Amino acid sequence: MRSAGFVGTRWLGVGLASVLAVVTLGLAATGRLGLYVNPESAWFAVGMAIVVLVGAALSFTLPLGAEADHGHDHGGAYEPFAEHGDASDPVAEHDHHASHPLAVAATTIGGVAASGVVLLTLVLPPASLSAELAMSRDIGAPPLFAGSDVVTLAATGDTSSFGVGEWATVFATATNPDAFDGDTVTLTGFVTPGEGTAEAFDLTRLVITHCVIDAQPASISISTPAGTPDTGQWVTISGTVTANADGRLKIDATSVEPIDEPEDPYEY
Amino acid sequence: MTATRTPGVEARSRAGRQGTWAALGLGVLVIGALFLIDAFAPSLFAASLPTRAQDGLTLAISVLIESLPFVALGVVLSIGVQVWVPPGVIERWMPRRAWARRAVLSLLGMVVPVCECGNVPFARGLMMRGFTVPETLTFLIAAPIVNPIVIITTHQAFGFSDGILIARLLGGYAIANLIGWLYSRHPDPDGLLTDRFRETCELVVHEPGGRGRRSLAQFVIELRAVMPALVVGSALAGAVQVLIPRDALLAIGSNPALSIVAMIALAMVVSICSNVDAFFALSFASTFTPGSIVAFLLVGPLVDVKMLALMRTTFTTRTLAGLVVVVILSAFAIGTVVNLLA
Repeated sequence: MRSAGFVGTRWLGVGLASVLAVVTLGLAATGRLGLYVNPESAWFAVGMAIVVLVGAALSFTLPLGAEADHGHDHGGAYEPFAEHGDASDPVAEHDHHASHPLAVAATTIGGVAASGVVLLTLVLPPASLSAELAMSRDIGAPPLFAGSDVVTLAATGDTSSFGVGEWATVFATATNPDAFDGDTVTLTGFVTPGEGTAEAFDLTRLVITHCVIDAQPASISISTPAGTPDTGQWVTISGTVTANADGRLKIDATSVEPIDEPEDPYEY
Repeated sequence: MTATRTPGVEARSRAGRQGTWAALGLGVLVIGALFLIDAFAPSLFAASLPTRAQDGLTLAISVLIESLPFVALGVVLSIGVQVWVPPGVIERWMPRRAWARRAVLSLLGMVVPVCECGNVPFARGLMMRGFTVPETLTFLIAAPIVNPIVIITTHQAFGFSDGILIARLLGGYAIANLIGWLYSRHPDPDGLLTDRFRETCELVVHEPGGRGRRSLAQFVIELRAVMPALVVGSALAGAVQVLIPRDALLAIGSNPALSIVAMIALAMVVSICSNVDAFFALSFASTFTPGSIVAFLLVGPLVDVKMLALMRTTFTTRTLAGLVVVVILSAFAIGTVVNLLA
């Protein structure tokens, strides 16, 4: 019973951390870490994952239960494989707090839930967020983290590196929409419902600052004579930026090409 | 026993060394097996979770992958202060008076490069070293805000507009010292801690063996304490995000008082790392009042769902309830002041 408890201690601590470290390194090795965190911080994630795994391998040299050992009766000598069979073992004395049935239940449920989540992480293939989630997060305001320098940059005419996120910022904040009128663009994103007409939809992309939990949708209006693709479908569109009479910008698409979900579904 | 080595002891230590290598080999094997499972299991299970569950899991995994390095760093630093820094080295630099010690500790976050998830194991290390509970709480509350990376990103996001950066820094510092002062008046500070943590303190103080062995023991103990809480907290954060529609929170709009409440609720739900929450808040700046943004930036790093799960490893539910009330009321007050001034 007690050694089962010690194995549980190892699994819930070092074990869970090791599985996550392995998943991190696996994603990094296959170039898919960007599905969860901004690749700019990948070096840190990878470095610390290696630290965790080295520590985990070394922790096997620590005898089971040694971490719960008070060390009396051993004269302070370093005896890695000494027997701890004495009945007055300090662990037994200390276990009485945890033996309250509610506490045991809470520990067990928490441990099982945590193990379940981590094992799912290990065995399921990585996935990106769905279009439904992107739509439910749309608060009507464009993500502004790109900052005002994007609009300045855009005004100077170099928009070749712009993605949906940058264009959404420009569309929402440009004070001189005419400056962009006629720019040709090629953009990739997924389809979300636009203003409701059959000839218009929104091209959306999730933009990430640090990790997927801060993902925010950026979208731009597209008008196309060819009809709207299904919601959630990934498309590459080419077209020109046009300004409405009231100064709002949109893109007149000349082609809308359905594609498979790209390997890097997010913008950073 | 160590002075006169008998042949029997020599033989045993040789056997022990062989055993150590065998154990290390076993560890490497297990990790190798994990890599194999990671590489091949996904092709056996097609992704068949319902969309919403998959989104929740994706969000939870992203928080986990993002916070694991910080937790690992926190554990390493915790081992550092607990095992490797000789007694008295930190203590010599600390002021004597309790309030001054707390004031200095709340600035410790400036030099300790961990964000909020890593702070929990580090703070546990401080307490095992003998820092008092109110002092450690002060550090734990201040560090996620009074932190160079957080200051830089908040400045990048907001500059000095509307006093958001200043209000965040001073507010965080003030709340931390307020909490430190409140809990320093507690008659029995040890009563703020969970039984389990107090037992752990007992154990590590009397941990036998050399520094390497104690470090490993600390590594095992700290990960055991933090990892389940981190996983459960991340899963909760992911689940809450897919279950509570965001527009329900945001419909409250630009009302000066209600917007603060809404942003506080949002901050507790989304559990974003304090390093980047400024950018997240920025996109709400156009529709929400500056005071509500400040409240978001104050509450999020201190008492969000993930942090509460992590802190529960160390502090009792009662303590955390008090903490949440103080933080929310203070954040609301500071947010209101910012709204009145801005």
